[in-house]
Amino acid sequence: MRWPLRQIVTLVAIAGVPALGAAFLHPLRPAWRSDEVVVSQAQTWGERVIWVDSRSTAEFNQGHIPGAFSLSEEDWDTGLAPLLDAYNPDRIIVVYCSSLSCQTSHEVAKRLREEVGLKEVRVLQGGWESWKRP
Amino acid sequence: MKKSAIFWRLLAVAVGGLFIYAGALKAWNPAAFATDVFHYRIVPWEVSAAVALYLPWLEIVCGLGLVFRRAVPGSLAILSGLMLVFVGATAAAKLRGIDISCGCFGSSGHSTGFAEILLRDASILLALAFLYWEDARRTASDLKPGHA
Repeated sequence: MRWPLRQIVTLVAIAGVPALGAAFLHPLRPAWRSDEVVVSQAQTWGERVIWVDSRSTAEFNQGHIPGAFSLSEEDWDTGLAPLLDAYNPDRIIVVYCSSLSCQTSHEVAKRLREEVGLKEVRVLQGGWESWKRP
Repeated sequence: MKKSAIFWRLLAVAVGGLFIYAGALKAWNPAAFATDVFHYRIVPWEVSAAVALYLPWLEIVCGLGLVFRRAVPGSLAILSGLMLVFVGATAAAKLRGIDISCGCFGSSGHSTGFAEILLRDASILLALAFLYWEDARRTASDLKPGHA
């Protein structure tokens, strides 16, 4: 039998069409940045996730992801201790702020990696807004 | 229709259907599948995300090829290649002591036994090899001079 190269190329190209559509339109498409995750992705990790809320304490008190720890840059020292008590290397920290446009989650995640030395630290794409509106 | 022809059709539909099913489960939640791929620790996250978006559709397209008898040799070649990659990736993860969910059927979050994965993949590869052999035999038979 001849090597079906033409068929292979055709099939590969056909599969690319819906894949391209999914990359832009699928509601559960994976985030492209390595340190970012979407809500559904983080939920697949179940109990392994430690949610960290990087918004201000006032915003945290108005509403947050159940079980989340409050750790803003303003209250770094007071927020860090309880988080480290709950942490172990099997767990994954997911930091969030208010929405897609905020940056505090990235800053807190960066500090947790660089200053505290934690490895599995991710950022929730879309933040608290995406949690409220899955 | 001969009994043997019915058997080959059923096998092709079963194998094609299996890949359509597996692909659809993964295409339903590419974010979860990307996590599974990433856990193999073979490719960076960006590649895992691209694989998670593309691979399920390739499985579906090739599965449809088997079910509807379109581009059968090409579909079989691609699916066989994918299975070999799955087996290689699973073995590499096992050798490095990584506890993985293979993600083969969209199941993220729980690990599957190595022996179970290998047995399943070997069975599918065997079925694909039989189908490839049967397709080659049928094509050769059709090309024989005097064949109606």
